[in-house]
Amino acid sequence: MTVHAALQYGMVVVQGLVGTQAALLFGLAVAQAVLLLLAAPLYSGISRVLRAKFHSRQGPGIWQDYRDLVKLLNRREVIPAKAGLAFRATPYVVLVAMLLVAMSIPAVTDRSPVAATGDLITIIYLFAMARFFYALAGIDSDSMFAGVGASRETTMGVLNEPVMVLSLFTVALMAGSTDLGTVAATIRAGTMPSYAATLMAMLAFGFAVFVEMGKLPFDLVEAEQELQEGPITEYSGRALGLVKWGMALKQIVALSLFIGVFLPFGSAVSLTWLALGVGTVVLLVKLLVAFVAIAFVENTMARNQFLDVSRITFIGAGAAALAFALSLAGV
Amino acid sequence: MIVLGLLAGSVGLYAAGGVGSLLLWRWDTAATWVAGVTAAVAAVLGTGAALQVLLDGGGPSFAAAGPFPFASFVIRFDPLAALLVLVISLVTLAASIFSLSYLRDYAGRGIGVMGFFFNLFAASMVMVAVADNGFYFLLFWELMTLTSYFLVIFDQDRKAVDAGFLYFFITQSFSMLLMVAFLLLFMRTGSLDFAAFRAEKLPVWLASVIFLLTFFGFGAKAGMVPLHIWLPRAHPAAPSHASALMSGVMVKLGIYGIIRVEVDFLGAGVAWWGWVVLAFGAASSVLGVLYALAEHDIKRLLAYHTVENIGIILMGTGAGMVGIATGKPLLASIGLLAAFYHTLNHSVFKGLLFLGAGAVTFSIQTRDMTQMGGLARGMPWTACCFLVGALSIAAIPPLNGFVSEWFTYQALFAAGLGPDVASRLFGPLAAVMLAITGALALMCFVKATGIMFCGAARGQPAAEAQEVPVPMLAGTVLLAGLCVVLGLGAPSIAPVLSRAAGTLLKSGPVPVAAGMLVFPGDPHRAVLSTPLMALLLLGLLALPLLIALVHRGHRVAPRIVPEAWASGYDHNAQMTVSATGFVEPPGFMFSGLYRLRTIQGPVADVLDGSVDVSTKAAAIVEPVWDRTMVRIATRGVQFLGQYLQLMEGGNLRVYCLYILAALGVVLMMVEG
Repeated sequence: MTVHAALQYGMVVVQGLVGTQAALLFGLAVAQAVLLLLAAPLYSGISRVLRAKFHSRQGPGIWQDYRDLVKLLNRREVIPAKAGLAFRATPYVVLVAMLLVAMSIPAVTDRSPVAATGDLITIIYLFAMARFFYALAGIDSDSMFAGVGASRETTMGVLNEPVMVLSLFTVALMAGSTDLGTVAATIRAGTMPSYAATLMAMLAFGFAVFVEMGKLPFDLVEAEQELQEGPITEYSGRALGLVKWGMALKQIVALSLFIGVFLPFGSAVSLTWLALGVGTVVLLVKLLVAFVAIAFVENTMARNQFLDVSRITFIGAGAAALAFALSLAGV
Repeated sequence: MIVLGLLAGSVGLYAAGGVGSLLLWRWDTAATWVAGVTAAVAAVLGTGAALQVLLDGGGPSFAAAGPFPFASFVIRFDPLAALLVLVISLVTLAASIFSLSYLRDYAGRGIGVMGFFFNLFAASMVMVAVADNGFYFLLFWELMTLTSYFLVIFDQDRKAVDAGFLYFFITQSFSMLLMVAFLLLFMRTGSLDFAAFRAEKLPVWLASVIFLLTFFGFGAKAGMVPLHIWLPRAHPAAPSHASALMSGVMVKLGIYGIIRVEVDFLGAGVAWWGWVVLAFGAASSVLGVLYALAEHDIKRLLAYHTVENIGIILMGTGAGMVGIATGKPLLASIGLLAAFYHTLNHSVFKGLLFLGAGAVTFSIQTRDMTQMGGLARGMPWTACCFLVGALSIAAIPPLNGFVSEWFTYQALFAAGLGPDVASRLFGPLAAVMLAITGALALMCFVKATGIMFCGAARGQPAAEAQEVPVPMLAGTVLLAGLCVVLGLGAPSIAPVLSRAAGTLLKSGPVPVAAGMLVFPGDPHRAVLSTPLMALLLLGLLALPLLIALVHRGHRVAPRIVPEAWASGYDHNAQMTVSATGFVEPPGFMFSGLYRLRTIQGPVADVLDGSVDVSTKAAAIVEPVWDRTMVRIATRGVQFLGQYLQLMEGGNLRVYCLYILAALGVVLMMVEG
């Protein structure tokens, strides 16, 4: 009940902030978050099917992840005695952080539905929030696999966050604002001073998103082969369902962020029902194309030793540095 | 005038409480309470005075002749000084409440003396912040160093004494630079008053010399790389409530000095000054956090994070100075605002983390993280507060560390907008450094929180840990609450600090907040609303809760299994990730920088060695001194005495003759 009241209060606050249109934008933000939440298992299901096809297997069908989630959510949890509050709270924290990102990024529209949390730094640190709790839960679960997974998760953050910051900073400097909606609108309007730099920044950020999604060869945190799914080893039942859903949401949100900022073509410009409907369909299609492309990349990659990963992520860092240099040169 | 009264009351109470505590040195409990309660009340008074000045946007000054003809006693309570007094008072308040129970650990070891030095330390820091005369500034600066030195060596063991010596050695040698700088200004202006320094227009070369002298002089006290080596030794050696004050507050006076001299006196007129400050800031932040990663001793880890955060503050300061020099008022204001905000935030969360570490040490009597684990079960309140501090320092939104780092990013972004190439290049590169720092700090505090409070206990003391007494919790909870307030209250706090920056720049405040939003001077550039974010995070919790509630999973209570799954083997604590193992990947990936550290080790060893050599040399020199100089002097005196005895014949007439002779000599001198 209090939660509901808080939401309502939030809506009043948003209305007071920017005007009456804000209520519509806020509704859009919630709808966008719910849409991505509901679509997340579909896309992870599609990923599984595509992976099976690459292996010349039949695959479980694209709806399998929904069935898995429902089954898990209905089952009893098993918790190690030494696990504490961090372990229990993390499934919720990860979901909430990712839902807030989903509300704040330009995806269906070419602007941030909630600009007050749609700044590029805020978004990157909301990802960090999920990472903090996810890693902490790994240590808290008292499993050795989870502990190593937690270490890897934070290490990936160290390698990946600078790439995200530099590539987004490059385009933001060219757009003159760190607001992701403004960056997207500038890219869409074609008024970026340097196309080469924008393209390079897109490649760098795309790489960073790929790493963030934990796709091969970067599935090091939840490495099934050597870590039994890393930080989520000890999760079971309802909590496992929520964590799995959170991870699927994180993947689709990261990808939507990439698409929304760098490929905003076709997203809704005005807040009419028609434009929003078209924007939603376009977003879902773009996500599908992206997932298929990612499936091609990840299923043709070999796994690497974890300690070598910094050498691979230097590609992303190099691309971001190149984008920055290009924008400096104004090419 | 009431503000000055509050300030005087605050300083007077600190001093009175300190002396009272010293007088009561025989009665530990009485000394603890006298020192703690007076410090807490004094801190409340100081907070009130500082808030009054910050909210008014300007404060009074006071001048008196003082006993020395060359220096008048001037107090100036401007918003910058008020910010520092606020920082000092808030942390002192929490630390003194904390000390009421914490000092039980030190029973019978001179609590009265500790209270004396602690209170005097706080008082001297307040006076450093408000003194507006070079002589008195340096006087209180030395008093601050001296009192904190005694807190560092309080344990009296070899390690503490060495750390204290290194601390004293480095800060003293670098405060020489400050004296030289002030003397140069004195020669130029003929006055030691800061007002004269402020008014003087210096030639660029002299200003640059003074910049370098004061930047390194104050930088050593702030603990920036490479002058930081004393910091991770000295801060952990002190008792935890004093560590909180040293690491949370005292280093900020180094920052204060840099801003006071470089921005206020010298007007930050040269662009390369700003870049130097920014470069040292970036180096401090990355290296500080990298070295923190490798620590097992929780207090040393926290001390290294002080180096990191000083770096972040210097980045904001440097960006602001570049903005002043290149004529960009927006950049100047946002840079200084970021520095001010992070100064305030860092002292709150670092104070909190040191008090948390102190609570853990109090409970299980070790600072070694490898012997902790699972403390959250025994000490849930301390664990929650420590988690808040960890989230703040890792810049997790919507807490306070995030807000000030957001402003720092925005300052660097504003620098990156150019138009000059140096700004366009170095601004974003510094932002990348900040991103690396942020990610490493996250890793470090996942490690610290996880290894200390989560999972299974590694050892008997950790398994039997008890929650600490209420006063200690009260101090910790106070600071944890402030972390939340300073984060969510950003829309009310940022304008106050922006006005303080505007006063310093003499340019008027830049708008940074409207309603529940904050923005870096221009709402089109970026907006942020931490209160809205908090509301949304809470509101969004409804979705997963709803999902969980409509399914059957919650109807059965979870089954608790005694151990985590270990591939069929017997689970034991040795299997789980250790403090070392957790940070191994960055250790491998950044091995180059860790090599730097092992090279830097010898530098510290050389210093250690020189300490040893000098004490040994003193031991050798003393007998030699004794044999030669002292003996000659005593022999000479004895010899002279024998001859003088001849003059004292005991005959009254001879004495009368002496008097007449003396009178004659005096008369001749007067005539001549």
